Amino acid sequence: MTPETLQGMTQDFMMTETDPQMVKSPEVALAVRNLNFYYGENHALHDISVDFPARRVTAMIGPSGCGKSTLLRVFNRMYDLYPGQRATGEVIFDGRNVLDRDLDLNILRARVGMVFQKPTPFPMSIYDNIAFGVRLHEKLNKADMDARVQDVLTRVALWNEVRDRLNAPASGLSGGQQQRLCIARSIATRPEVLLLDEPTSALDPISTARIEELLDELKEEFTIAIVTHNMQQAARCADQVAFFYMGRLIEVDSADRMFTNPKQQQTQDYITGRFG
Amino acid sequence: MTLATATQPTEARDKAGVSHSGSRRSGPDTAFHLLVAASALLVLVVLGGLVVLMGVGGSQAFRTFGLGFAFRDVWNPVADQYGAWAPLFGTIVSTLIGVIIALPLAFGTAFWLTAMAPPRIAAIVGTAVQLLAAVPSIIFGMWGFFTIVPFMARTVQPFLTHHFKHVPGIRFIIHGAPFGTGLMTAGLVLAVMIAPFMTAVMRDVFAAMPNMLRESAYGLGATRWDVMWKVVVPWSRSGMIGAIVLGMGRALGETMAVTFVIGNVTAVGWSLFAPRSTVASLIALQFPESPAGSLRLSSLLALGFILMLLSFASLALARMLRGDTK
Repeated sequence: MTPETLQGMTQDFMMTETDPQMVKSPEVALAVRNLNFYYGENHALHDISVDFPARRVTAMIGPSGCGKSTLLRVFNRMYDLYPGQRATGEVIFDGRNVLDRDLDLNILRARVGMVFQKPTPFPMSIYDNIAFGVRLHEKLNKADMDARVQDVLTRVALWNEVRDRLNAPASGLSGGQQQRLCIARSIATRPEVLLLDEPTSALDPISTARIEELLDELKEEFTIAIVTHNMQQAARCADQVAFFYMGRLIEVDSADRMFTNPKQQQTQDYITGRFG
Repeated sequence: MTLATATQPTEARDKAGVSHSGSRRSGPDTAFHLLVAASALLVLVVLGGLVVLMGVGGSQAFRTFGLGFAFRDVWNPVADQYGAWAPLFGTIVSTLIGVIIALPLAFGTAFWLTAMAPPRIAAIVGTAVQLLAAVPSIIFGMWGFFTIVPFMARTVQPFLTHHFKHVPGIRFIIHGAPFGTGLMTAGLVLAVMIAPFMTAVMRDVFAAMPNMLRESAYGLGATRWDVMWKVVVPWSRSGMIGAIVLGMGRALGETMAVTFVIGNVTAVGWSLFAPRSTVASLIALQFPESPAGSLRLSSLLALGFILMLLSFASLALARMLRGDTK
């Protein structure tokens, strides 16, 4: 057991506390089995089966339209917002199938946070952006809420930059700061899984580097699934990489092997820039 | 202007100096420039003309009764005594009732159409909303006269009188003989008229909201209610104020539909079910009977002047409410 895992265990996770099975490694946070996804008539994901190890970064790569973002949106049932989109198969998270019709989506989404391609600060203050999600699920007094806000802002390395203007509108922050705020907002509800959908695609290189550093720290505590178009980013951040093409999972392996010695020709072609 | 600067980027800086003489421009370009500038300036001329016409026309009334004309509660052509308070009161209260009823209707419809309705049904309802917005006001007037007025007279008023007759605080609002006409009826008809407009504007505002922002809120585990009140409403605040002002503007000036259902009695009182009048309906009804140069005609023009000020005030209020977010 690594020190990282131990540190993770000390956090008050619902999962690690209630389920002693989960502390034994190797842990799997999300287990996808025979997943198919449909946009109306369009069959977008074909028979996907893949494990997302707990407290590791799994990068999903592949050309546009290959289904990687679609898979991400299955994990928090975001597709449920749109009529005509449906999924079959299983996504086992904490012993339950995420696709179950009677699953409480609000609780699922508190436990599976998501960050988007562009920063999406809510039209409210920096403080309230963080408190918004927390208030949905917990009743904290002022002091506890203040502490939570400071804690998550510190963890995304934003605290020193915004501590004097917590009540200012979040829209006044720079793009990189806004995205870090969005990450802070997502981890404030104490999720187990963090879904990142091309989180740096709208950011400059410096902001991107800071987010990537951040992922390195966050994975001590969260299981991270990141969709990226940027091969270097996947190589830098990920422990495991999954390559998708035309709605199918072509290959999944550790980042080292994937980028040095892929098994499939298609993967080789894609990561060497021959298509995509 | 953009056209001109796009074709002559190097002259962009001195375009203000060149624009009036047009000396360095080609013929068609100058003509185009003058044409668009003239149509823009025409707006100012028309607006100024309206204010002057109403102000000068109404000056006799303002001279006779003073600026207190606006708050005089008398409209007596026999004694040649006029004041704007009764119709002004009717206009303001019927407009407020209309907006208060239409706002939740429009908001709910727009939110449902953009966020929750199945696409096919949303398309049908959306088209119906646009059709409703296109119905001429005289149609609403007749509908109000033949449907709402009898309904108020036979059902609503007897019901309210029976149940709330002795409740202090409500009694004075529902007081009056069951004519079916009055501020409440006018407000209802106005609400049905302005709700489609407000819905259309709000729908555009909601549709302009990035999906990602909405999803971010749902992604934290927010319910539809949370998303609506804490994210959608604050985000679309200025657009919604625009929708409200658009509806108010239409309600303030609405003439035909209101004239059909308000009862046209120049009186002031708290009962929402007694016949009243509004500025626009009073002008429409009395204009043909007012001889040129009479104090009565001048008073009607003065009413028009006040109505214009009221519209400007509502616009200014909207600007103010919108301004403090930016």
